[in-house]
Amino acid sequence: MTFVIKVESLSKNFGRVQAVKGVSFSVEKGEIFGIIGPNGAGKTTTLEMIEGILKPDSGSIDVLGLTPNRQLQQLNQQIGVQFQSASIQKKMKVKEALDLFAAFYPGEARKAQLVEMLGLEEKMNVRFENLSGGWKQRVTLALATLHQPEIVFLDEPSMGLDPHARRELWTLIRKLRDQGSTIVLTTHYMEEAEQLCDRVAMIYSGELRALDRPSALLEKSGGQLITFQSRDIPYVKLRSIPGVVKVDKEDDTFKVYSDDLQLTSYHIFTYCHQENLSLMHFQFAKGTLEDLFVHYLEKEEAE
Amino acid sequence: MIVVWKLAQLETKMFFRDRLSVFWTFLFPVVMIWLFGSMFGNNIEGNFSFAALFIPSWIGVNIVTTSFFTLGTVLASYRETGVLRRYQSTPLQPWKILAAHTVQGTVIFLCSALLLLVFGMLMYDLEIPVYAGSTLAALFLSIAAFFPFALLITSLAKNTQSAAAISSLFLNLMIFLSGATFPLEMMPEVLQYTAKILPLYYVIELLRGTWNEAPIFEYGFEVFVLIGISVFSTILAARFFRWSDR
Repeated sequence: MTFVIKVESLSKNFGRVQAVKGVSFSVEKGEIFGIIGPNGAGKTTTLEMIEGILKPDSGSIDVLGLTPNRQLQQLNQQIGVQFQSASIQKKMKVKEALDLFAAFYPGEARKAQLVEMLGLEEKMNVRFENLSGGWKQRVTLALATLHQPEIVFLDEPSMGLDPHARRELWTLIRKLRDQGSTIVLTTHYMEEAEQLCDRVAMIYSGELRALDRPSALLEKSGGQLITFQSRDIPYVKLRSIPGVVKVDKEDDTFKVYSDDLQLTSYHIFTYCHQENLSLMHFQFAKGTLEDLFVHYLEKEEAE
Repeated sequence: MIVVWKLAQLETKMFFRDRLSVFWTFLFPVVMIWLFGSMFGNNIEGNFSFAALFIPSWIGVNIVTTSFFTLGTVLASYRETGVLRRYQSTPLQPWKILAAHTVQGTVIFLCSALLLLVFGMLMYDLEIPVYAGSTLAALFLSIAAFFPFALLITSLAKNTQSAAAISSLFLNLMIFLSGATFPLEMMPEVLQYTAKILPLYYVIELLRGTWNEAPIFEYGFEVFVLIGISVFSTILAARFFRWSDR
């Protein structure tokens, strides 16, 4: 496996606030890597240290063999960045923006190819201020990838997009990967991480909480659950059954998260049998990253 | 260098897309000169005509307008909206961005100066500067002093609005107190001294002087002050320049 990014014990403080605490991970060439976590978890700070914009307080970063904040100039030739809030001049036309950014990089920029891929042809003479959110996102994506960078960084790429535009964006991001770029993105939409990312790093209050393929994360504790309907079974009893991590109840429907499905099921069945309670629609289900995420947050708050 | 040129060209184009800045930079001075001209166009005391005094001053005022609004406030808004940040992750070096904006500012200022010159010649029989080379040198020296000075002042602002407010304050102070519009001799003594701490005072002395009376090397003190402002603010502006608010 070839790593394009290797981060070790990365930390960053802003005054007294510890934004990032000892985070380590690496990103493989050609993958779509997601950094997920709630707002204010330290995702953007982590990303900006990797991009070389912020200087880490401690820890080491290796991006394509470079130390980002010391070799920014060389790094910027090989990476493309789409910022969360940064934009371009309001009165600049799409065509002009593409021309300008193409001039920043040596060699032939793949303007025509991107214009076609992103469907920008009809918007070439529109000023940036007159574009909708989805189109703005496409333009800044084009600007970040004109030079066919080794690594593309996307900070909350689908923020503020409607579901349709979001899905189109995912298709585009996959295309970019297929053309040879490694993608590193941050998101707080768990669905996005699940659908799009090959691997995710889950960050909460500046610490790395989990790092794996989304499907593997779901197989681990808290990601698995049993659902059933029952009118009589008491909530408190369920919480005390072995293996149970969390119980959600909505009307008659229960969602029981467990780190040992077999054990938990056995106890539920035994209990219901002894007490002569009825169980309906009993099934094993796969949780979503969102469930897993909430699970981590609740565990955090409980501690 | 191609990038600097390209960016300067684009920024100039975008300047002309903004009607308000076109109005303040090009039309406002013409309207003001016309107003002052109709008030006391024919009864100026002393050796020089109305145009010979007022047009060099308003060209000087336009250096202030260009440096504070076309440069300072625009860069403050680029800082606020993340335009500068966006450049940070490209191979574009910071000095090229500043160079491009300096070129753009100079071009726009020269256009406005030319407009005032032509307007003065057509309406008020203005004569071209006696020491044209000196006037030109004075213009570039004033630009070299004012561009970094305005960048420094506006970079202290937190956002675009406060940058614009600071700029308006400086512009108005200098228009009325530096002798550009009202002759200093008409003012109380306190204000005459105040004028001398305003940088525009020296620009106007130098421009009026080289336009009507003597070559630039006879204005050693003014030249010295402007070079001082230029060096001082370039160093400080470079020191305090920020790419983003954070």
